[in-house]
Amino acid sequence: MKVPVSEVFNSYLRLLAKTMFLVGGGLAFALAFGSLLDKEAMLTLKDNVSEPLQVVISALIGFVAPGPRYIIYPVLAKLFEMGLNLAVIYALVVGHVLIEPSTAMLEAGFFGWRFPLKRFTVSLIITLAAAELMLLLEYAGWSFR
Amino acid sequence: MKMPKLPREMKIGIGIYVLAAILFCFSPQSVIEIFSGNIDLIVKILIFTAVAVAISVAISYLLPLSFVRKYLSESSLSNLIIAGTLGVATPGPIYAIYPIVLTLKSKGVSNPVLVAFITGQTILGPARIPFEMGLFGLDFMLYRLVTALVMAPLAGLLYIWFSKWLPDPDEAPGKSGA
Repeated sequence: MKVPVSEVFNSYLRLLAKTMFLVGGGLAFALAFGSLLDKEAMLTLKDNVSEPLQVVISALIGFVAPGPRYIIYPVLAKLFEMGLNLAVIYALVVGHVLIEPSTAMLEAGFFGWRFPLKRFTVSLIITLAAAELMLLLEYAGWSFR
Repeated sequence: MKMPKLPREMKIGIGIYVLAAILFCFSPQSVIEIFSGNIDLIVKILIFTAVAVAISVAISYLLPLSFVRKYLSESSLSNLIIAGTLGVATPGPIYAIYPIVLTLKSKGVSNPVLVAFITGQTILGPARIPFEMGLFGLDFMLYRLVTALVMAPLAGLLYIWFSKWLPDPDEAPGKSGA
């Protein structure tokens, strides 16, 4: 069945307007919250906390740290330079991209609060499992560097 | 005078803007500084969003309902693997994939399959592979890729498991078949 181009274009514009409204809000929230984060706090992890616990803390920080994905890479590169374990960096980057406050709110708006709640729990379990496995592999002599 | 009832997405959107405005008040930087410092990122996200909406509109017109019902509506392990792999291969920022997710949902795709797709898409996008490989090395990237392909269907399976205690209101009982 042939669909008129104008109909496709109109539905594109309707969905674009709706999505841009939400994306604009999410982006504003992420940028505002990101400007409040103290990046130096991350560095205290390295010297005072054991590595398996660093992984857990990094994953949790990643989850609550909002912001578009690319924002975190300069910080990660700096942490890597300072000698932080790659498993900790893994937990931070995966935790950061899997779920964040603004997307949790978006998902709650779209699907109801149970969806982001379960997705958050599931994401936390799989992030910790994969990051702790990476740490174990490193302890066993497998170098990821 | 009775106020018009706003749709749920609109209420959530307004809530996010209000929260952002409150956070901006506490920021040590001015709003202009924050936005001008992230202008490349903002432009990139807006462009990706426009592209993602185009993809989602294309999906809604091109993807037959019968195909979705047959292959993705049930939460079987094979569907979770397909959805997770599709997610890993799908480019774009997280905000931009929600139109695609909404379209899939409206086509009857189940929540665990959507979770596998979102997990695959968010955990690793094709655009970030060269970026992370350059910063952290090939081995790190390969571990990320392998775990992403395992974690996405695993997330769907865990979602099904958690749904036994906290079922989704719109998921029919017995639909999860993994």
